[in-house]
Amino acid sequence: MNSPIIETTGLCKVFRDFWQRPKVEAVAGLDLQVQRGEIFGLLGPNGSGKSTTIKLLLGLLHPTAGTIRVLGCPPTDVAAKARIGYLPEVSHLHAFLTPRETLHYYGSLFGLDAGTCRERTEALLDMVDLRHAANRSVGEFSKGMARRVGLAQALINNPDLLILDEPTSGLDPVACREVKDLVRLLAKAGKTVLMTSHLLADVEDVSDRVAILHAGRLQAEGRVADLLRRPDAVRFLVEGLDAETADAIRRDLEQRTHHAVVLDHPAMDLETYFLQVVARAAHRDHLTTHFQPAAFLAAAKEKPEVRDQKSEVSSQQAD
Amino acid sequence: MPLRLRQFVALATATLLEGMQQPAALLLLLACVLLTALTPVFQFHSLGEEGRLARDSGLAYMLVFGLILAVAVASSTLAAEIERGTAAAALSKPVPRPLFLAGKYAGVLTLVAILWFAALLATLLAERASDHFVAVGDELGTRADRWTILSSLLAPVVALATAGILNFRRCARFGVAAFLGIPLALATALLLAGCYNRFDHLVWYHPDLNLRVMAAAVLILLALALLTALATALATRLRSGSTLVLCALVLGLGLTGDLWTGHAAWSWRGLLGGLLPNLQNFWMCDALADGGRIPWHYVGSAAVYAAVWSALALGAGMLALRNRDMG
Repeated sequence: MNSPIIETTGLCKVFRDFWQRPKVEAVAGLDLQVQRGEIFGLLGPNGSGKSTTIKLLLGLLHPTAGTIRVLGCPPTDVAAKARIGYLPEVSHLHAFLTPRETLHYYGSLFGLDAGTCRERTEALLDMVDLRHAANRSVGEFSKGMARRVGLAQALINNPDLLILDEPTSGLDPVACREVKDLVRLLAKAGKTVLMTSHLLADVEDVSDRVAILHAGRLQAEGRVADLLRRPDAVRFLVEGLDAETADAIRRDLEQRTHHAVVLDHPAMDLETYFLQVVARAAHRDHLTTHFQPAAFLAAAKEKPEVRDQKSEVSSQQAD
Repeated sequence: MPLRLRQFVALATATLLEGMQQPAALLLLLACVLLTALTPVFQFHSLGEEGRLARDSGLAYMLVFGLILAVAVASSTLAAEIERGTAAAALSKPVPRPLFLAGKYAGVLTLVAILWFAALLATLLAERASDHFVAVGDELGTRADRWTILSSLLAPVVALATAGILNFRRCARFGVAAFLGIPLALATALLLAGCYNRFDHLVWYHPDLNLRVMAAAVLILLALALLTALATALATRLRSGSTLVLCALVLGLGLTGDLWTGHAAWSWRGLLGGLLPNLQNFWMCDALADGGRIPWHYVGSAAVYAAVWSALALGAGMLALRNRDMG
């Protein structure tokens, strides 16, 4: 039987003031299960306890009550952390280090040998499209560029579990889409991804399951399709239908159901339209931009440590 | 290299690099070296011995500036990192918290040791450059070593200029190049000082340095190691200002340690003596007066004393960090 990658039971976190009086209950009785290979979205308004939950899962905060198992171990287990990649909500990077030095630093913390560390660093720099800025201090970077370095460091250890706190924060729409593509690729390769975002569309696009928190409590949880489906309504999508026929069908349906029937023209979402415009412009100007996850995965595929990613690429190509 | 050692080296190196990049660290190093180098210029009293004022001043600057650097860097790399979240980013990796603290301590101590080394070189040069009584031919009186004063003052300038050029030409980090360049330039000045005497004559290699200072300087390094451990431990819970005040208090009370020893353990003075490190053990400048020497076996005993106190301070720091929420 497959045990969950992440499991919390009755998880509580109360922050206290200087005198140890309870100040705020950030997480209250949270029961969560995230299965292997799943993309799990953690949603909620500001102050709902998403980031606190993530820090509890990483052992950075100590729970007031409840139990946590991550990869079958308590969150303070150092060995389990070697299999986790973490992108914090704000990219906490050493401002004086270059992206290359940053990745070497985190690679060393994971105990990667020099050769592996160098290869992954170069592949990740290509992946997040920062090779041109590889020797500049991270302190000089824009928020989006720093975010890319943060994402690269989260992948330096080829993690089994990837925890992404607001991964698309500060990124432009093209980079957002590429991050989401990367998340899908990683999930297909058997990685488990836990992500939070204020941008509901981002989570909806990629997540298999979501949980919605409010005031530290779990309000809803389930598969995205199940949560969003309206079983009491039906939608037809027909191409090439003239207005006269459509109106006749509408009248007929209204007579049969005794309910109002809405006719409209489906529209693509703004993100898709934006990406099409940018892709056309880039094609016209012969430019390539932003992330190149396929390059990183291809560079890593000869490595036994990233064997999963190789099979993922093959399946992607087969798709 | 074993995993833990690799992590330790990575943490210490990052801390060292960050420390050297801080403008305050470079300013403290410059102030320490220049004040020591200027002592022979503004020498109005000899304290009864040639070069003593420069030697004692140099060792005092070494202790004070070393302490300020230790507190400033320990606070900024530990307390500030915990607040900013950089520490959380490192601790989300497979890094045990005690190792994290040990790596930080090693980085700060290495930085302090570089300042100590530069201060030692400046002190050796300052003592040689001070007024000495000479009686050669018709000349009778005191005479300063002008070339050594000049080279001591020029060394930091050359180091800063070289760091600027390296930054311009090779994009090297100015702070790191300058911080490492200053002791290097002073060492060069020290080597060149062996090629001339205070009468501005070229001589066969004769550095004319008072190497008895070494033992006193090593004692100060041990005191700095102890105070760095204390600053690192305090920075796990306190901010910069509080850490500086507490470390200065320990330094002040510790330097008057002889007042607190020899009293009954249950008296307030005895209790204070037991709770505070006796830093008087590390301030032995007076022992160098009139050709005196500090025995190296004493330095060895002091090293054990410093190691025990440092371990206690770091142990307390590790306990304080163990249950601290990072976020």
